[in-house]
Amino acid sequence: MGIRMSTAIEIKGVTPDENMENCARRIIVGYFREMMSHKDGAIEGTNIEFVHDMRVASRRLRAAMDDFKECFESEPFKQYYEQVRTITRTMGAVRDLDVLIVRFQSELNGLSTDEQRDIKGLIENLREKRRTTRTPMLDLFIELEANDFDTQFLTFFHLET
Amino acid sequence: MAKPQKIIGLKPKQTFRQNARIVLPQRVEEVYSWEQYITVPELREELHNMRISVKRLRYTMEFFAVSYDNRFSDFIHTIIDLQDILGDIHDGDVMLDTLVDYKNSCEHNGSCGVDTLISRTSKNRNADYDTFLNKWGQLSDVNFKQKLLNIFES
Repeated sequence: MGIRMSTAIEIKGVTPDENMENCARRIIVGYFREMMSHKDGAIEGTNIEFVHDMRVASRRLRAAMDDFKECFESEPFKQYYEQVRTITRTMGAVRDLDVLIVRFQSELNGLSTDEQRDIKGLIENLREKRRTTRTPMLDLFIELEANDFDTQFLTFFHLET
Repeated sequence: MAKPQKIIGLKPKQTFRQNARIVLPQRVEEVYSWEQYITVPELREELHNMRISVKRLRYTMEFFAVSYDNRFSDFIHTIIDLQDILGDIHDGDVMLDTLVDYKNSCEHNGSCGVDTLISRTSKNRNADYDTFLNKWGQLSDVNFKQKLLNIFES
């Protein structure tokens, strides 16, 4: 029903014979950069795919952090993990409404004029809710920027050469 | 939503390939830990948890695909199919909840015409659920889990 799936990205330097910890760092940094590359589009808000792509990248990033947790010192790691989880959750609230709006729009055909009017009313309610739900997402981005989250995250996970 | 199962035995100083054999089977077991619930249609939360575990398995397989010369791309496609069907079931459940809430809120101020869509969505959701059970049955018949574990071990 027109809901697109995001694909995996290619991460350079990840090879079968490379040490696990180095690969973990490359994968985590790769998906962190991928996630943040969609932030400006998500803030702008007219194309719903930016929120979707940012959320999916955050899920992949969390999957990598879940898989490779043992490669990292537990305390700073936990803090970064929680921040990524907050990003996923906040993006998810907006994305869930986007999916509902798309789905209900695609269901209008085959309904009577009165039913269409009522479902359009529901879609309008969801759009209003979406506007409200974007506020915590935008606040989160401001907070992350104020705390220099990008730099701190990348410094912690960056591969030392 | 269920938390991911903790990966046990990761070896940070060993190779990526060696660790693939440690991590991937654990993610398969996480998916199959939900299998006992799938034939009970009312257990929506468990089905949703299986969907999340399927996603984790897919992403973990994508991370490690390089260690297997991408030999498991067919398996990943099967897992994406499962993820899609489970996603459709979940979307159907969320749509139904939203429609019922809307109907209840309308009833305070008259009524609204959502019954046709509730009926259609419910029918589609049940059809998606049947499709999922059929697909899962077919995969069990060909011993999909063991095939996955075998390729991870190869």
